[in-house]
Amino acid sequence: MKYLVIISFMLSISSFATADSSYDRGKEKSVTCSACHGADGNSNNKMYPRLSGQYKNYLIHALNSYKSGERKKAIMSGFAAGLTDQDIIDLSTYYSKQKGLNIIPKN
Amino acid sequence: MKAILKSLTLLLLISPSVFADDYTGKEKSETCVGCHAIEGYNNTYPTYKVPKLGGQHADYIISALKSYQNGDRKHQTMHANASGLSDQDIKDIATYFESIGQ
Repeated sequence: MKYLVIISFMLSISSFATADSSYDRGKEKSVTCSACHGADGNSNNKMYPRLSGQYKNYLIHALNSYKSGERKKAIMSGFAAGLTDQDIIDLSTYYSKQKGLNIIPKN
Repeated sequence: MKAILKSLTLLLLISPSVFADDYTGKEKSETCVGCHAIEGYNNTYPTYKVPKLGGQHADYIISALKSYQNGDRKHQTMHANASGLSDQDIKDIATYFESIGQ
C-alpha cells in the first residue's frame, strides 16, 4: 500500500510536469516554423536563422517586433500577425530549450 | 616639407581602407563582444537578452546587419554600429560568428 501511494504520487508529479506545459504547446505550434527553421530550430537553409538555444525573451521580442511591424520582413510579418501572446511565449520557450546557438567568446 | 606632410596625411587617410581586408572577422568583431559575449547581458528599454550569435548562419547575420543599416530593423546601438561597417566587414564578421562552436 505504501508503495502504491509513492508510485501514484510520482505519477501525478510527472503528469503535472509534462501535461500541457508551455514547452509542449510550443513544440506543437512550431510545425509551421519548422518548414524553414528546422524541427528543433537548427535550420538547414542558411537564409533562415537558427533559433535553437536562443534566449527566450529575445525570441519573444523578435516575434513581437515582427507582429507590430517594427521589424520588417514580409515572410515573418505574415506569420507573426497570426500569433497570440501565449503562442509567442510557447514557441519561444520551446526554441530556447533546444541545443544550438552559443555565446561568442570574448576575443 | 609641405609636400611630405601632404603625402603623409593622404597616406594616413587612405591606409585604413587599403588595409581593411588584413583584419579578420574576429578582429573586426571587437566592438560586438562588448555586449554579445557576455552571458545573459540585457538590452534595456525594452528589456531582453542580447541575442546569442555563435553558430548563427552567416547569411542571416549579413541580412540582419544590413537591415540595421537601412532601418528595416530599429535599434539605436545596432544602427550606429552597423552603419560603420563595409560590406566586406559584415561578411568577415558573419563568417567568424558562424564558425563559432561548429
